[in-house]
Amino acid sequence: MAENNNRPGEPALEMQPLEMRPLEMRDAFGQALVELGTLYPQMLVLDADLHTSSKAQYFKKAFPDRFIQVGIAEQNLFGISAGLALTGFIPFPSTFAVFATRRALDQIAISICYPRLNVKIPGSYVGLPTSRAGTSHNCIEDIAVMRALPNMRVADPGDNADLRAIMHTAIQTEGPVYFRIPRATLPDLFGPDHRFEWGKGVVLRKGGDVSLFSTGMMTCLCLEAAKLLEEEAVQAEVVHLASIKPIDRDLIVDSVRRTGCAVTAENATVVGGFGAAVCEVLGEMYPVPVLRIGVQDRWAESGGTGELFTFHKMQPADIAAAARAAIQGKSLREKVYPTPPVELSS
Amino acid sequence: MITYGHWGHIGGSFSMAEMLATLYFHTLQIDPARPDWKERDRLVLSKAHGSPALYAALALRGYYPVEKLYGYCELGGFEGHTDMTRTPGLESSGGPLGMGLSVALGMALGLYRLENPRARVFCILGDGELNEGNVWEAVMAAAHYQADNLIAVVDYNKVMAKGFVRDLMGIEPLVEKWQAFGWDVIEVDGHDLEALAEAFYRARWVQPRGKPIVVIAHTVKGRGVEMAEFNYKWHTHAPEPDTADQMLRELARRYGKPEEGYSRLAEDVKKETFYGGE
Repeated sequence: MAENNNRPGEPALEMQPLEMRPLEMRDAFGQALVELGTLYPQMLVLDADLHTSSKAQYFKKAFPDRFIQVGIAEQNLFGISAGLALTGFIPFPSTFAVFATRRALDQIAISICYPRLNVKIPGSYVGLPTSRAGTSHNCIEDIAVMRALPNMRVADPGDNADLRAIMHTAIQTEGPVYFRIPRATLPDLFGPDHRFEWGKGVVLRKGGDVSLFSTGMMTCLCLEAAKLLEEEAVQAEVVHLASIKPIDRDLIVDSVRRTGCAVTAENATVVGGFGAAVCEVLGEMYPVPVLRIGVQDRWAESGGTGELFTFHKMQPADIAAAARAAIQGKSLREKVYPTPPVELSS
Repeated sequence: MITYGHWGHIGGSFSMAEMLATLYFHTLQIDPARPDWKERDRLVLSKAHGSPALYAALALRGYYPVEKLYGYCELGGFEGHTDMTRTPGLESSGGPLGMGLSVALGMALGLYRLENPRARVFCILGDGELNEGNVWEAVMAAAHYQADNLIAVVDYNKVMAKGFVRDLMGIEPLVEKWQAFGWDVIEVDGHDLEALAEAFYRARWVQPRGKPIVVIAHTVKGRGVEMAEFNYKWHTHAPEPDTADQMLRELARRYGKPEEGYSRLAEDVKKETFYGGE
């Protein structure tokens, strides 16, 4: 199939079949920009020579006067955005996530985050599905980097409706926001009335044996993994946490209190990212065995999307295998620590 | 302030003292009583390590009481580098060099969009800072956008943190560089108040014609104190009270002011202000 950049004969993303005319997430992003532009006259979109790839071009076409082209100069892109925010505008500086979070990190940190300016940063082409551009364009460390910045909020949408909801909430939230847009076509998980709230996760599937915590496009793969596990009579709970910072601590603890073990899944490196954020919560509040699915501290490579997900062991079968290992870890853990974890008063 | 704070940049603060005095008491259209006034001029200090000079200028201009300066670099007081959320009158936050001109350009573009043709954005850059690539991204873009409400001011004091600009990474020919990028250039003696006033007046009211403007102010790092002039060793260095006393007396003599010297009394004021008395 042509979706998600796979060539005939290559492995595909093992997810639920797509509808007849699926919308790529970057197109959903472009459409949501236009929708927000209609609602918020103070919104501006800035671009560093990538608008036809990121699909910020939808906004350029709808509001040419509110679209600012800065050329291939990402540091300037974020500096100008800070200045525009200081004069009352809501800028969306749009570029590939690699250039935002690597090249312009200092500008994002000091010019935008430090004074808590109202800038919404879309990170395009995140994680593995970035055509075949390879390591330099596969942004795998952005979650870790962005969530380390004080004042910054970070979100990774699970489908197009989730992305739209995140963008609506982001523009209503005072202060800087970073959200991710993979170059992927994903099955619909949420309906058009879906709402996004900071620090709130969603349980998509109930289960008592293992918690699958996922963010972004990994949620649809976790749902497939849960189906695989069900065939073995293992009931997996799938929890979608689009809001990575702040993260839904209560929901995470509540889920593992029932399941006793967890797997995290992210379309990014596991070092310092989403899985690390979940482990921080569990380590502090309710330690249980956790395995993290994601890029394992190595560079991503050129390849088809499905091929890369298979290579990095991020397909549903890999998630299911991690779930089995986590469940096994639970019994091992009980042998080592015979008493159940201490109940927290909160 | 730097002695009380045990940290700070003397050289780069002294070199732009006249510049800030001229801007805050002559050129800038501002009103400390209305810091949110939409028509106000903005000043971005891109060389944010010069914060002591800017904090002093803002205090004297009436944004906050002079006692506040004793809290420089103290926990809960004014930050070592500029933090607009802590210091009234600041228009941006900074620290890392090379970033301020982009922010100032964003403000300038924003002011145009708000149909606010009167306000101007000034941005003070260091000379060593011009080594940074981000500066030239902004220089290129400002000319592209014809942002003639943006006025860059280069504090060309010839000295960087660890030596002379010409030795570490030369920036000449500077005038030609800015011109080649499409800017109008005004060169001025950065310690001559009248010349500065005229240059800033021209940049502020006369010059705008579709091009951004840069005022290259030739200055002396550490100006006013013999031991610090053109001396990179005084780039970041907090003088001991005795040295501070000597420096303040020298400054007073040079500018014909009564000699007060370093005040130990002020140390008590600081204790009372920031530690609630001890």
